[in-house]
Amino acid sequence: MTRYVMVIDQRRCIGCHSCTVACRTWNKLPLDIVYNPVVTEGAQGTWPNVHKSWQPLLCMHCENPECVPCCPSGASQQDEDGTVWVDPKKCLSCKVCVNACPYGMRDASHLEDRMHRYVRKCTFCRDKRQLDPSAQPYCVLTCHQKARIFGDLDDPNSEVSKLIGSVKTERLFEEFGTEPQIYYIPDLGGKA
Amino acid sequence: MEISKTSTGLKGLVSPDTVSTEVDIHQDGVTMVKSLCYFCHANCGVLAYVKDGDVIKIEGDPDYSNQGGLCCRGTSALLHVNHPARINHALKRVGAKGEGKWEKIPYDQAIQEVADRLNQIKDESGAEAVASAGGTTRTDDWARRRFLNQFGTPNGFHNALLCWIPTFMAETCVAGWSPFETDLAGAKCLILWGMNPGASTLGGMNGYTDLQKNGLKIVVVDPRYSETASKADLWLPLRPGSDAALALAMLHTIIYEGLVNWEFVGEWCDGFEELQEHVAEYTPEWAAPITWLEPDQIRQAARLYAMNTPGCIQWGCTWDQIGRASTTGSHAIALMRAVCGNLDVPGGDGMPGPALNYLTDEEMELNECLPEEQKAKQIGSNKFKLTSWPGYQMISDNAKRTWGKTLPTEWFCEAHGPSVFKAIITGDPYQVRALIVNATNPINSYGDAKMTLQALKQCEFLVVVDYWMTPTALFADYVFPAAGALERPTIVTHYGATDSIMGGRRAIQPKYDRHTDMTFWRKLGLACGQDPANWPWETEEEAYFHILEPLGLGGVESYNDFVDYYRMYYPPLHQNKFKANGFWTPSGKVECNSTILRELGYPGMPTYIGCIENEIDTPEIAEEYPIVLTTGGGFMPYHHSEHFQMQGIRYLYPDPYFSINPELAEKLNIAYGDWCWIETRRGRIKMRANVEPEVHPNVVFAPRGWWFPERDGSADLDNPFGCLESNVNVLTSVDDEHCDPMGGSWANRGLMCKVYKCGEYDKEYKKEDTQFSIPGSSSEPGVTVMPSDQKLAREPIPFEKPEPAEAVPEGYEWVWQSNTLYQKGTHFRLDESGWLINPRTKGYHDAHTGWRYDAANECLVDDETGKMYTMEREEIVFAAGVRCYPGQAAPYEVPENLTWNQEKGYATLGDKPYVYDPNSGWMLDPDNGAFHDANYGWLYDAATGHLVDEATGKHYDMSYAPVEE
Repeated sequence: MTRYVMVIDQRRCIGCHSCTVACRTWNKLPLDIVYNPVVTEGAQGTWPNVHKSWQPLLCMHCENPECVPCCPSGASQQDEDGTVWVDPKKCLSCKVCVNACPYGMRDASHLEDRMHRYVRKCTFCRDKRQLDPSAQPYCVLTCHQKARIFGDLDDPNSEVSKLIGSVKTERLFEEFGTEPQIYYIPDLGGKA
Repeated sequence: MEISKTSTGLKGLVSPDTVSTEVDIHQDGVTMVKSLCYFCHANCGVLAYVKDGDVIKIEGDPDYSNQGGLCCRGTSALLHVNHPARINHALKRVGAKGEGKWEKIPYDQAIQEVADRLNQIKDESGAEAVASAGGTTRTDDWARRRFLNQFGTPNGFHNALLCWIPTFMAETCVAGWSPFETDLAGAKCLILWGMNPGASTLGGMNGYTDLQKNGLKIVVVDPRYSETASKADLWLPLRPGSDAALALAMLHTIIYEGLVNWEFVGEWCDGFEELQEHVAEYTPEWAAPITWLEPDQIRQAARLYAMNTPGCIQWGCTWDQIGRASTTGSHAIALMRAVCGNLDVPGGDGMPGPALNYLTDEEMELNECLPEEQKAKQIGSNKFKLTSWPGYQMISDNAKRTWGKTLPTEWFCEAHGPSVFKAIITGDPYQVRALIVNATNPINSYGDAKMTLQALKQCEFLVVVDYWMTPTALFADYVFPAAGALERPTIVTHYGATDSIMGGRRAIQPKYDRHTDMTFWRKLGLACGQDPANWPWETEEEAYFHILEPLGLGGVESYNDFVDYYRMYYPPLHQNKFKANGFWTPSGKVECNSTILRELGYPGMPTYIGCIENEIDTPEIAEEYPIVLTTGGGFMPYHHSEHFQMQGIRYLYPDPYFSINPELAEKLNIAYGDWCWIETRRGRIKMRANVEPEVHPNVVFAPRGWWFPERDGSADLDNPFGCLESNVNVLTSVDDEHCDPMGGSWANRGLMCKVYKCGEYDKEYKKEDTQFSIPGSSSEPGVTVMPSDQKLAREPIPFEKPEPAEAVPEGYEWVWQSNTLYQKGTHFRLDESGWLINPRTKGYHDAHTGWRYDAANECLVDDETGKMYTMEREEIVFAAGVRCYPGQAAPYEVPENLTWNQEKGYATLGDKPYVYDPNSGWMLDPDNGAFHDANYGWLYDAATGHLVDEATGKHYDMSYAPVEE
């Protein structure tokens, strides 16, 4: 089996937004849709004793996604490899899933007319992987800092498996029971 | 209304019918082209996928230094190439200047019209009345200089003074070249000083992060808690603009705590004792109130650097942007590297020198075309000598004597940009009538934007080459469309200052009527009547191949071959070169008290001079403008004043934000996102507040470059495209007195300002906010002091060059530092042995003729003609390719059956005309070079391997046995 996950090394992220732009460029996203924003609370502390880190976000491709069972048309679905995606042909743009997602990681574009609108979200570049199964998502490829690592958690030799097994990682809102599959290596001020 | 059944609208009612947005790069007809990114001069590797003459997709090249990474700008290349706002045709102004009324005309017609006008101005006012402003080092600037030199004007310039060039020149005065190529793999410590690769050169940042993981210690010197500082081992948050004081105090600490590399200093540093005495006063305690650092912080940084050798200091733009003290700061840093023994050693700061085995940018510039009297007219060269003809000439001559090649005049020898703008307004020192602007938007990138805007409005004939309708292009008489990324091949020569080269191919031909920069200068040169022999290359590919052909790389018959098979060329890493050659200064040592600087009238050792405005020297200014402003730093996703058009990245950072500490914001009643005024003595601008403790409570950080291409430029010609409204250069000063007296750079860092919230009745940018003045002042508009009457920050120090003890022979120059004679023109050194020595090849040349000594053949060779001469300088005669010795006895053993012909100087066989070749033992026919045997004179027939007696037609084998047919 294959289980795609992403590890995000916040010790390396410098908030350059390259991943955000690469994603929107190659996935041809309307201006009001961002699959993978990079957020920061800015420098924390009192100058000069400050620290700053960045949190790249994206769909968590949860093991128990809230957004799939709630979909009335069956457009929101999950592949066997864990990829959660929306079929535009089936999507009614009712946005039930948008409300269901605890991470706020999906939405429909308001720049498109009502009839063309559908809910969009990160698919781990599913289209790209369908053409070339070994392909990496655009946000991973474009990252100069190699802060995003994508791979198969079921493969014990993959870089993601090794990292998750050796470094302390965190996941967002684990208490919701969604089993998110994005693993963060937090930047606690130490060195990568 | 009838609904068409084939309309896409009907399909659209159901649902989108394309599911995949993915571009299939494996489909038929797609070729991959190795290209380079073009949006900053890190030039990351890009793979372009081309189908039917158009790029369908790009991605980062995983086999290049960026390891597949591309930043926001690089990823946007396709948005750029097809952007609807791009200029695609040559535009001729038809309305009033700035009105925005244009006529599209054919490119070549526009070129001819511009050329005619330039020639007319040259006839009326001299070639120097034409000036040219250039952009970043991506535009084949050797071609621009090639044009300017042939045209005869010395007034080309860039924003080079704010970017590396004064530093490079100061470093070259100290050690003979800039030690800018950090050898990080072997380094223990790295100082990133005024440099934020986390927002400017991401490929570099990746390398730093990896090396840091392996133990490299990183010190970041930055007033802002930058992206890079957030990953540093030691962060020195100094007062903006106080870098020179910090450098001097660190140098003091290293010297007075005995942390210098004594072995290196003893053997290689000239004048160390003088330096020691000179920096005695620059203690950390002296620097503390200037830098706002604790003395112990300064000591800690100095010790960390000096005790962890080898180590590197990466050059940062800040060094050249602190105004009056710029070169002083980089001079002190150059000496820090030197006394710690970090120059040209493994793990230290590499000194590549010029490219010795392919053509440098300088060799492409035709500098010999510019007459001496025109050089003397270069604007600003009487003031800021280090970076213009006076300093360049000394440094360049020295480089030719030591390296054998030199720096390009582009970048390193330029007019003082702001002085050219002032000359357009005032006619002082003379009227500049025409300006050709290539790849720059001076209103946003040069200091004193209001004055620059006035100059561009006032310029009699303005020509702009650009991608976009910039505030500068708006006032042009002609606008030429520039080809951009993917439409041009790229060569990376690092300002022509290093010995490595990298290349990328053109992915597609320029679209519409766009042309590359080299094509522009070439066409303009030819239209101006320049010699076509001086413009032999029609395409960049041809020119680039000419540059790298001398490398003789196997399989490379065109530039594209080079990119496909090699992509980059690095000479074998050669460090410790100074151990064999000495340093490349006039004295051959690291000059702690630089002789070149002294000869130019500057202090030979770094001598502190403060920021133009600061709390200590100018308390009266600090009272009204109590906050320290820093600006000029790069930030994602923009580059200089570029990319504001592109929605796909603009949405990340739609408005200009300045950073302000929460403590100060609270005091000033400013909340996050509030529009505020930032005001200096020169003017004021508007930005929104980013309240964040990333800066000192008394510092604000404002980003550079801002203008608003989405506005109608012609609607407000006082502030077209809002180019002044949020432009930090409204706040900077380019008054001569405020510029670095050596390099001429002006201050972006460490200015005094005040900040206040935009009020209900004071939130619009008004006409009075846009009024220009010379010198810069918001209270006295207009020209109040002519440029020639402006003083310099420091008076020149008289220097008397020693007289030679003996008369200098004709044709030689005497270098007083080393008491050595050099041949004029070639710059070869006259050795004690009486021979000339070529610094590049280390070969010996005859002092009378210049002919090279060829040790293998024990003769002299004239490399120009290829002719060979005896050691008595008599031409060596060749017959049938065999060296002859007429009038001499045979110098080799002559076989028995041959006779020595003393008149002809070779051995002959009977009365046959053949020439005996002692190397092969054959007789050669002087008419056709055919081989004949030395016993009978029979012809060697290569087809059969036989000897043929031509008289009888009989064949013999090589042992003279007859061969039966």
